[in-house]
Amino acid sequence: MTNPELYPYIQAQDPQGKILSRPLMPLKLENDTQSMVLNGLLDTGATINVLPYEIGLALGLVWSQQNRSVELTGNLAQFEARASILIGVIGQFQPIPLVFAWTRAEGIPLLLGQVNFFAEFDVCFFHARGIFEIQPKVELSS
Amino acid sequence: MLSEQLLNELHNLNRTEKLRIVQILVNELAVEETSPEMLRQLAVQYEVWSPYDAFGAAHTLQTMLDEYKRDHDQS
Repeated sequence: MTNPELYPYIQAQDPQGKILSRPLMPLKLENDTQSMVLNGLLDTGATINVLPYEIGLALGLVWSQQNRSVELTGNLAQFEARASILIGVIGQFQPIPLVFAWTRAEGIPLLLGQVNFFAEFDVCFFHARGIFEIQPKVELSS
Repeated sequence: MLSEQLLNELHNLNRTEKLRIVQILVNELAVEETSPEMLRQLAVQYEVWSPYDAFGAAHTLQTMLDEYKRDHDQS
């Protein structure tokens, strides 16, 4: 069984100068020979993972080669999106395929949602302590 | 709606009563302008990027992921 890893919440300031703590997960995304290290927002309310347009381009994704369109909701509904698979590396855990809705929206956070980030990892949030704990999912024995 | 009778009654108030009326009305306006209803009327927009209830997208992504895993398990 893999040991869980601890990460700190990252603090940011809103336009009024108020401090906000966010559970941002540092991870590496890989596509063929290209890779990038960045922070993804752990968004338990998001049904899916969302990849900002500029990040997909930087990883070498080609819009015209992604042939499955997906429709998003909320503010992202106004942007076209296509399904893409990347390899995600979290801490010392085994790399896993992460499926994203690659949106045409730029300047938005990388969102890690239920399909399939939270299907692959168990995460515990300790907001008051300013940390979260993560480990690969534990399969229940039947 | 302001009636002549109400205006006359307001004019006849003494200085202290007039100040009290002004204070009450200013407080009411301040509360109204910060209420959720007033904010909605001002068409204030909040950025909420989280795509909750994107069930169709979730189904498409899950299908693609299942196919990917099946192909890579075979190879």
